[in-house]
Amino acid sequence: MKRPKVLVLRGAGTNCDIETCNAFTAAGGEPELVHAGELVEGVKKFADYAILALPGGFSYGDDISAGKILAVKLRTLKADLGKFIASRRPVIGICNGFQVLVKTGFLPHDRSGRQLATLAANDCGRNRATLSAVGAGSSATGHFIAKWERLKVNKLSPCLFTKGLPDEIELPIAHGEGKFITVPAEMAKIKRGNLCALSYVANPNGSMADLAGLTNPEGTVLGLMPHPERFFFPWQAQNRRPVAELGTTSLRLHRCRALCRPARAPTAAKAALIRPGADFLPPGYLFFKNAVDYAG
Amino acid sequence: MNDRIDDFNRLGAAGLAALDKEAGWSLNAAELAAAQKHFRKLGRPPTRGELETIAQTWSEHCKHKTFSGPVRFERGGKVKRYKNLFKETIVAATKTLNKSWCLSVFKDNAGVVEFGRGKKWGLAFKAETHNHPCALEPYGGAETGVGGVVRDILGVGLGAKPVLNTDFFCFGRQDSKMKLPPGALGAPRIMEGVVEGVRDYGNRMGIPTAAGGVVFDDGYMLNPLVFVGCAGLIPRDKIDKRVRPGDLIVAVGGRTGRDGIHGATFSSADIGSDSPSSAVQIGHAINEKKILDALLRARDKGLYSAVTDCGAGGFSSAIGELASECGAVVELDKAPLKDVSLEPWEIWVSESQERMVMSVPERNLPALKKIFAREECELAVLGRFNNSGRLLVRFKGAPVVDLRNDFLHGGVPNFEKLAVYKPRPVRARPPAKPRLPLGRLLKEILAHPNVRSRAPIVRQYDHEVQGGTVVKPFTGPAGYGPSDGAVIWPQAATRDLADFAGFAAAHGICPSVGRIDPCQMALYACDEAVRNLLCCGADITKAAFLDNFCAASPADPKVLGGLVLAAEGCKEAALGFGAPFISGKDSFYNQSSDAKGKPYPIPLTLLISAVAPVDDVRAAVTTSFKRAGNPVYLAGVTWRGLGGSIYNELEKSGNNALGVISIAESAKLYRGLLPAFRAGLVMAAHDVSDGGFAAAAAEMAFGGGLGADLCPETGYAQAGISQAELLFGESPSRILLEVDKEQELAFRSLAAGLPVERVGFVSDGHDLTLLDGGGRELLREDIAVLLECWSGGEA
Repeated sequence: MKRPKVLVLRGAGTNCDIETCNAFTAAGGEPELVHAGELVEGVKKFADYAILALPGGFSYGDDISAGKILAVKLRTLKADLGKFIASRRPVIGICNGFQVLVKTGFLPHDRSGRQLATLAANDCGRNRATLSAVGAGSSATGHFIAKWERLKVNKLSPCLFTKGLPDEIELPIAHGEGKFITVPAEMAKIKRGNLCALSYVANPNGSMADLAGLTNPEGTVLGLMPHPERFFFPWQAQNRRPVAELGTTSLRLHRCRALCRPARAPTAAKAALIRPGADFLPPGYLFFKNAVDYAG
Repeated sequence: MNDRIDDFNRLGAAGLAALDKEAGWSLNAAELAAAQKHFRKLGRPPTRGELETIAQTWSEHCKHKTFSGPVRFERGGKVKRYKNLFKETIVAATKTLNKSWCLSVFKDNAGVVEFGRGKKWGLAFKAETHNHPCALEPYGGAETGVGGVVRDILGVGLGAKPVLNTDFFCFGRQDSKMKLPPGALGAPRIMEGVVEGVRDYGNRMGIPTAAGGVVFDDGYMLNPLVFVGCAGLIPRDKIDKRVRPGDLIVAVGGRTGRDGIHGATFSSADIGSDSPSSAVQIGHAINEKKILDALLRARDKGLYSAVTDCGAGGFSSAIGELASECGAVVELDKAPLKDVSLEPWEIWVSESQERMVMSVPERNLPALKKIFAREECELAVLGRFNNSGRLLVRFKGAPVVDLRNDFLHGGVPNFEKLAVYKPRPVRARPPAKPRLPLGRLLKEILAHPNVRSRAPIVRQYDHEVQGGTVVKPFTGPAGYGPSDGAVIWPQAATRDLADFAGFAAAHGICPSVGRIDPCQMALYACDEAVRNLLCCGADITKAAFLDNFCAASPADPKVLGGLVLAAEGCKEAALGFGAPFISGKDSFYNQSSDAKGKPYPIPLTLLISAVAPVDDVRAAVTTSFKRAGNPVYLAGVTWRGLGGSIYNELEKSGNNALGVISIAESAKLYRGLLPAFRAGLVMAAHDVSDGGFAAAAAEMAFGGGLGADLCPETGYAQAGISQAELLFGESPSRILLEVDKEQELAFRSLAAGLPVERVGFVSDGHDLTLLDGGGRELLREDIAVLLECWSGGEA
């Protein structure tokens, strides 16, 4: 099979470009780092690639708001990007890349091309990680959170990237602006079309409908806040050894009233999933592999 | 010359001192006199720019006069003299060890050791402090601290790619009742600002912030310590740099502004109510990210012959340093400015952030410009390096500075400083019986500010960007287990997915031991750092250290006496572990005074940062218990003594003796355990430190979500030891190990002859149970309840 060419878009402040490239390489693609300026100047063209990835980071420092400036820069390329998507070639936007897709009006998308949703500052009220626990006054609202989250996979979603994943997976998140907000009409469409491909088990940011990953009705575009490229290899797991033996204590422990949300109890699915070993494929692998197989 | 100080050569000592104070140079009387003598000999008065250059270059911050100067050390009637304290202790140990895998030590912006499969890479590591700025403006100070140390890594050799940021803080207690002098910031305000600054800069740079820690002590109330470190990878053939006369001087990055004027000189003085906040720089991470992206691309094309960062002293020290072996002509009017009203000398010394200076062969300029333009990063040609042996700086043709290199870099007068040490009385009597029940004590220890979970800070840092943080700050199925260090697999730098080489980074710090004995403090800190590396599964036979000393005014002989002992301790530990120091930094004048002149000095503090290779990151070890039924071993001797312990803060034990530390014994133990780690027999390992055996066992249980039944009383405990010392004592050089039960025999044969003994088993029960030697239960506590104490319910 041919190795499909992957355009990994970078600009000032893109951070997760190289590991995203590495993930595509390992999944059988042929990634190339392309600067947004090269597309604007026409030195490189979307049309020459089979897959587009918008990696994580703080494009242009996330000044104004996350992903905003890169979204504005891409405006001149909107028609080309629209054609790329219309040709049903896979597009994945991770973290800041998701923010860019939302702010360019490609996710969610309607014919007007307007921005229909936003990813706002985290609402940490439901899962506070503030300094108060080490004794400081808490700054409760909206800061950056980096931790591992359990995600429910919507089996009914048309999303091509999440095909074949188990019911529940675990991936790290790392963002300050991941709270998905949209208008009721758009949310109804998302629910009707099963466009919410991934949702949080324990919502860390206040996202509507616990949304962690959003796809388009064709299933070819995926924007998600979690980082699949960070759990691509088994040794990147937060839990570094088999937990198949996970005892009853831990079940009880994680259900402990003081800590939590009953939803935090590890399920059998999770225990089955995180078993680093030679034959174990971490969930992040499938996101990239699916895209490469589809395009290849 | 413009800006001439016409009467400088005629001033007396008092006049010079008044001028110095007005200008904010922090030069002492001898230095002012040396400068005056120089200009008298030249037969002309100096310019403001020249005196500024001298003040920056000779500052404690840039020159490290105290540490590298002569010292007379007095202790109990005995006198020892040092010509150069630093060279005779820390550098001497590195020289004696003479490790072939040390590629660059003490000469560049960071130390560099060999790294990776085929030894193709160098691993550069550097840590420094940004204490003074953080006391005045915590957020800006912390941000620019991170920015500065990252630029050190970008400026080592021809530039390394940063792959890990470390952070370590010393703050006042958040709930302190201490009365603050007017104008001082409260402890919560300082901590919040510093954490946010490190977060916002590190995250935006795309560098994982993963190995760190916090110590709370009221000694740091007015002078927080903010240690920031950075590690990076550099191709082996890019480690050497040499400025070539004839090369262009090229400045890249941000523009020059009024922010950060006199940062170097202000941090070479005590902090008072009149300290200038304009001395603190303003950070803008995106500019530095652009430099990073452009610089490494230009490096790989071989477009420049040398590079360094603009840190303290701005252009004056960056260009001055690059030109120190040759010479330079600088045209300041070519520098891009944020503020056009800047005086020429202000442009020269401004510490505006995110700037670097390169030495570029003229023929490469077009290619370089193209790369920087693509990354939207500004570039300006400021002049040319030459062979003149002097530094000539002009503004629109008019001279601003004209100084000879030999005077500028060699003319600083240094004189012998006095250091004295008087040992503290040690009470080694058996500790009093604890007032609180043991279970309650464990809960209070776990909730103690210096033990409890750091998740609220750590979770704000992107510790996994670049996809290489294999051992993360927290591990285990639910991410509750605190790690002893970070293990990094630098795939984003090597881009070689078949190379599983990585490295571990960890820290050691023991200021509470330093209050009792500074030499022991250094030994404890080095021991703790090595132990933490081992617990991650690193090859500790190739460990390398960084030293970061922080102290109050070195003019106080007692402060300097502590420093001498700590430096001697560093030397002893380095030699004993076979672990060289590769770089370091010192920060003095960490003391404040209130309006009445009452001084608030910090306790002498030494942070040891350490790195060691992990041959295969897939086999790295974490602290979390893995499986019920596995045996748990305690490695190391438990000595008597509760000095410096958390226990002593909660209970008046009446004992302040320190557990005995022998680097030779520790080194033997750690090297002896290494084969068991390599063979994959160790399922989990955690160092026993703050809070002692009981706290370490609880933390392993949190990570694994499993219980344990353990007895801390082994045949290797010192005779006559009390229950409190066994459970909560902080005797050094001890590790708790979970061993695979299937391979226990193999482990026992590997550990034969070492002070290693089984203390119990991991259980699938709910409790941590600790027993005495007779099998009687000392305490039994529900792990979920202990976790709540430790995490404050917010793990």
